Amino acid sequence: MFQVHLQAFEGPLDLLLFFIRRDELDIHDIPIARITDEFLTYVRFLEEIDLDGAADFIYLAAVLISIKARMLLPAAPAEDDEEPVDPRRELVERLLEYVRYKEAAGELAARFEQRAACWVRGARDEAEAPPPSYGASVFELVSALRRVLRAAPEPALHTVVRAEYTIEGQQRWLLEQLRAEGRRLFTSLTAGRAKHFIIATFLGLLELAREGALGIALDRARGDFWVELRADGAKPVDQTYGSGAALSA
Amino acid sequence: MEAAQPFPHEAADAAEQTAAEQTAAVEALLFAAERPLAAAEIAGILAAVSGAEVTAPDAEALVRRLDARLAAGGHALRVHRWAGGYRLAAGPQWAPYAAALRGAEQRKRLTRTLLETLAVVAYRQPVTKPEIDFIRGVDSDYALGRLLELGLADVVGRSEGLGKPLQYGTTPVFLEQFGLGDLADLPSLRDIEEILGDPLFSKERARLLSLQGLGADDAPDPDEGDALPLPEEPPRSTPPDADQREE
Repeated sequence: MFQVHLQAFEGPLDLLLFFIRRDELDIHDIPIARITDEFLTYVRFLEEIDLDGAADFIYLAAVLISIKARMLLPAAPAEDDEEPVDPRRELVERLLEYVRYKEAAGELAARFEQRAACWVRGARDEAEAPPPSYGASVFELVSALRRVLRAAPEPALHTVVRAEYTIEGQQRWLLEQLRAEGRRLFTSLTAGRAKHFIIATFLGLLELAREGALGIALDRARGDFWVELRADGAKPVDQTYGSGAALSA
Repeated sequence: MEAAQPFPHEAADAAEQTAAEQTAAVEALLFAAERPLAAAEIAGILAAVSGAEVTAPDAEALVRRLDARLAAGGHALRVHRWAGGYRLAAGPQWAPYAAALRGAEQRKRLTRTLLETLAVVAYRQPVTKPEIDFIRGVDSDYALGRLLELGLADVVGRSEGLGKPLQYGTTPVFLEQFGLGDLADLPSLRDIEEILGDPLFSKERARLLSLQGLGADDAPDPDEGDALPLPEEPPRSTPPDADQREE
């Protein structure tokens, strides 16, 4: 019984390719019966531990079995002197195509490494800046708020006080802060502040974002989001993949 | 990688004086910019500031001149052509110093899954998700989402096919991060026969066999087709011919 590391294969085609390379098989003349057996052994193993990941493998296993079945059937008489089509042909073409991209991925990785070794100015900023486009839902925004609130200090005693902060006031405060800094993380804006301050600021921020005066970009790595002053004030707040001018075609 | 080409020598005269000044101005621009600058952009700035007539090809010549000067002077910085523009960067031999200064790697590596998906997007663009899935043989939803997040790929349009699926392509960020001037700079896809003849294939086999304590001599003959004996670790006790009765 062989041992298989699941992460070692990118998918069923990669696994099939591994069998072919390992046994130095001629890709144009794959021993379907044997490969199908090996493949099925792997799929059964995969099903036991990772059913989600198995789906794509099961599909290719079905393809293999169907090819095997067709190879066992007597070939249909060739019409008009045409070459009978090998049932394996389509699979082989797919495999070869896949190999080319797999190779290209290796080439690209080398390019990436080469380029990464060339240091440029502002690289640190690039690394820290939020992703240029990000599909954020309002739930992610709210859950980022919840994390901030959870971290906010909670007084042991509770006294009822008049709200010291208004949404309008916090809007002005936010704009002031951002005019000085340009772009801030939400946590850095509200660090050490009381809950009602954070909530008023968040609501003010949403209002400003709605008006288009602010841009918001989620930073998933930090569980935080960036707030940024918008000079033009016209762009949409939430840049999702699905929206944008490119789609209207 | 380097866009270095020696600039043709010019006579020392007034024109030379201007060119030297403009080259220095290009150097200042490339230094200040934290992104690749296109030749047209450089030309526009030079023209606007100095009032002289500068075309994009002029700007390209100035960039080449600057790079030749940097190369001749043994400078760490060189001009690279990335994403259709020019950018100053320290060569790989200076990477350890920059890394020590910043205390970390400049950028994270990409996983194999992301690279493979990116390769399909880069070479097949515009490409739809079903096409990517078919080539890779796996669902590429996650990988594609990550590439979009990283700004390496983006939606570029809609296919005319059934359901008008979205089409994806690479972005200028991709070209910049992979050190490519434009899409024509992508390394060409390797020829299939060349891949198959790669001696690495047999090395891989030898390594695997030695791991299993088996000889490398029992290589199956590809001509035998379906009747191949199982060379190593038969998955079950089933003899090779029995599987034809099985299903």
